[in-house]
Amino acid sequence: MLIELKNIFKWVNSGGNRFFLLKDINLKIEQGAFISVMGPSGSGKSTLLNILGMLDTFDEGDYYFNGQPVHQLKEKYRSRLYKEHIGFVFQAYHLIDELTVYENIETPLLYKKVSSPERKALVSDMLDRFNIVGKKDLFPAQLSGGQQQLVGVARALISKPKLLLADEPTGNLNSKQGAEIMELFKRLNQEDGVTVVQVTHSEKNAAYGSQILELLDGRIISK
Amino acid sequence: MIKNYLKIALRNLWKDKTFTGLNMLGLTVAFTVAILLSVYALFELSYDRFHENIDRIYNVYTTAQSPDGPEVSTAKPIPFALALQKEVPGVEKITKYNGGNVLVTYGDKQLRMEAAYVDPDFFSIFSFPVIKGNEQHLVEDESSIVITQKTAKTLFGEENALGKTVNILQQGRQRPYTISSILEDIPTQSTMRFHLALNFKNQSDFVYADNLTNWEKSNHRVYLKLSEGVKPSQFEKATRSFTALHREKFINDLKRDGVLPDTNGQYIQQRLLPYKDIHFATEKNGTARTSRLYPYLVLGIAFLILFIASANFINMSIAKSSGRLREIGMRKTLGANKFQLFFQFWGESVLIYSLAVLMGIGLAHLLCGQFQTVFRTAASFTNVMGPLTIFAFFTGVVVITLIAGGYPALFMTKLGILQSLKGKMEASGKNRLRDGLLIVQFGITILLISGTMILWDQLEYMRSKDVGFNKEQVIAFPLNGKREDAQAMQLLRNELANTPGIVNITASNNILGLGKDGTSSTSAMGFDYKGRGVTTNILIVDHDYTETLDLQILKGRSFSRDHKSDSLGLVINQAMADALQEKDPLRAHIILNDTVRYSVIGVVKDFNFQGFDKTIAPLTLFLNPKWNMRNVYVKVSGSNPLQSMDRIERAWAKIEPNAEFLGSFLDENIDRTLIKERLMTKMIGSGSILAVILSCVGLFAMSLLVVNQRRKEIGIRKVVGASVATITILLGKEFLKLVGIAFLIAAPLAWWFSFQWLQGYVYRIDLSVLTFLFAGGIVLVIAIATIGTKTIGAALQNPAKSLRTE
Repeated sequence: MLIELKNIFKWVNSGGNRFFLLKDINLKIEQGAFISVMGPSGSGKSTLLNILGMLDTFDEGDYYFNGQPVHQLKEKYRSRLYKEHIGFVFQAYHLIDELTVYENIETPLLYKKVSSPERKALVSDMLDRFNIVGKKDLFPAQLSGGQQQLVGVARALISKPKLLLADEPTGNLNSKQGAEIMELFKRLNQEDGVTVVQVTHSEKNAAYGSQILELLDGRIISK
Repeated sequence: MIKNYLKIALRNLWKDKTFTGLNMLGLTVAFTVAILLSVYALFELSYDRFHENIDRIYNVYTTAQSPDGPEVSTAKPIPFALALQKEVPGVEKITKYNGGNVLVTYGDKQLRMEAAYVDPDFFSIFSFPVIKGNEQHLVEDESSIVITQKTAKTLFGEENALGKTVNILQQGRQRPYTISSILEDIPTQSTMRFHLALNFKNQSDFVYADNLTNWEKSNHRVYLKLSEGVKPSQFEKATRSFTALHREKFINDLKRDGVLPDTNGQYIQQRLLPYKDIHFATEKNGTARTSRLYPYLVLGIAFLILFIASANFINMSIAKSSGRLREIGMRKTLGANKFQLFFQFWGESVLIYSLAVLMGIGLAHLLCGQFQTVFRTAASFTNVMGPLTIFAFFTGVVVITLIAGGYPALFMTKLGILQSLKGKMEASGKNRLRDGLLIVQFGITILLISGTMILWDQLEYMRSKDVGFNKEQVIAFPLNGKREDAQAMQLLRNELANTPGIVNITASNNILGLGKDGTSSTSAMGFDYKGRGVTTNILIVDHDYTETLDLQILKGRSFSRDHKSDSLGLVINQAMADALQEKDPLRAHIILNDTVRYSVIGVVKDFNFQGFDKTIAPLTLFLNPKWNMRNVYVKVSGSNPLQSMDRIERAWAKIEPNAEFLGSFLDENIDRTLIKERLMTKMIGSGSILAVILSCVGLFAMSLLVVNQRRKEIGIRKVVGASVATITILLGKEFLKLVGIAFLIAAPLAWWFSFQWLQGYVYRIDLSVLTFLFAGGIVLVIAIATIGTKTIGAALQNPAKSLRTE
């Protein structure tokens, strides 16, 4: 079991009223799963994903990642955990504009204090695998949306995460580019055994996953 | 990692060329100026510090009570030094000191040089190291002299100076002296300067030999080195019985005149002025006061300028940080911890600061020469550089960088991941810091501008003040030749007779203002008048003195060639007439030297024969053309005075071919006495201009950012019908409010500072509220102009365009 969520609640207080973002979420994710989270705007998809990625906190409930109780961990250990095991892909790519493709992919390794020759080897492998060797010295602004997202995925994968979290990874892409990214996710999931959780609006994209999770007003309405 | 940081830092700086440029420009200029000003201030503060015993060296001075309050005198009688050392415990070494001008002849070379007449112990008190020759027994032998390396070079060129004999003109005779030792050149930061040193006994009999037991005549300074562990206050107390013993007669006179003793019951008190303070000492109410105000003020301005530039940097960094929030968020997601992010952003600041400091050092180095000329200082990098200065400088830079770069870095890394990823910054709190910094910036600017204006007003006031004599048409120059003064005067009169443009010629033993040779002196005397003690300054003059200087005769007449008895006549000034307390001062007679009876023949209107920080003291003019005159005054006609100057110079060259002509108009001489004020006006003035520019750079950047951040708001307001004017006011208002607050804080401070400063001048301007309002007004106008350029542009923009960007 990679992830286990038990009775997760998250709320914000506004003007005396408690407004629930997530209500009583119970979820188990096995190693190697490919889950698509669906639901209308404001249903809590992104919040759930952020909590899974430990970018956001929750107000109540237990979260076990790889058997470790995340809800009891200090910030320092939490960040070590996600640094080691989780990769993120965003709708807006979030590449660092001032870094080249190569440097963007290399950044997570820098924070993990990987030695220089090793970094070089890992990044080269990744560039090869994604067929973007020729673009390694370009800046994000010089790439198309699909290519940028490809770099985003490459960066998420460089530290060999167990879990890949993707928040509408194809939201800014056209259908052809979107399909390519989805194919890539599927391959990663099947060939490399990476667990994938993606948030999506599109039925077609959701179908790439092995399981669909539907949210409405902060509750899971179907698994 | 570092490489990655450096890369991204450089790319970021490059991307934002406007801001990087403004920051770099501001910081570089600020560092350049701050470095130059600090060099100047440190140079001033390091005066006389090279003496190894500096903490134990003192100048002995006297505070004597008088009917006009306590008076300070540094002059001592000849037997004083030896008696003090013998009778009062605590003196390790003591020396008499007298400075003077001597004419030195070697072969056909003839030079005027500054001589120091000292006792042999002088060299074990002060540190003037010997580099060649006898090191132990300097000036012990009355036929040997000590010269500096530079003097050796001027006199002998490359020849070996040791053992050579030069002639010095003394009491009308050439006296040979052998050079026994050569001193290292006197450091620039030395108050005491001389070309050569002689034994004190070698002075003319008039000064030394005739006064061996005379306690009534004071004519030189005394310096001493206290024994280890002796406190100056303790020593001062211990001198009381010594003073009572030796100055009994004088003290009795004071008692008779009804003069009140000081709080300790003393009529005369010997005091010690630490030698390290001597460069900064002024006299006030009978004691020497030390004021290092000017150097610290300069240092203060340097820091204020750095503060303004750093405040700009902080404000810009924080304002710009919103553009990098995504990067911060992303880096956090990718595993960066707070320290790594802090170091990345702080590192960028360090990079900018290091570049600015390096360029500042370079520029300061390049501009040092010009700085020296403009501010008339010998301060340079080499004479203030030391391990301590360098250490302090780098510590300073690190601290400034830590604060200026650290705060924005901390501010940015503190934000949560999701918040940063969304690229939104919470509006609360951050503006308070920005506003605070802007207020302080403008406060400083207003302070400096009003300070400059007040300094300038005071300077102009003193310059244009009616000094009581003709300063525009009179040329003065020192009698610095070999001939006897009276003879030289006669020759000059003959030479210039019938020369067009020359109106009158006279001479006196003192200068008005400060001449080109930079020397001035005062002589004063006291005598009993109708049972009271009266003190007066004395001036020995040649014929035509009052006519040449256009002194106004109030009563009686001036000296005249027609009255043979005028050598026993006196012309006094109004202040002296008041001191004599006679209804008709023309009836006053003064007996001097017990027998000679002088009569007052005229009263002149008070004129400023001393500095502007003093009230005009009583003055008595004696006519004695045969006296050692020192200075010539020539009145020229108003048309083409420069041509007259040339003519006088040529005439002087004929009479004294080997002497340099150092003529200058009296108004130049007056300007020379105001050199300190002029310097400060220049420094504070340039400081305030820089402060205005830097503050405006900051303000410009801030308005640029505010306009960008509020682009959408401006668009919406326009769509719903706001006019260009209302939008401009809306945007400018918040900054102008800050200028207002700054004014309210700075104006009272400026008033207080200038009020305190003006207390040091007897003749001073009245402070006017208008000055401060004007300073505030200038800043306001400049601020409006700065903000206006951006805000009006923003207000004019087509709202469709600004709304589309969202």
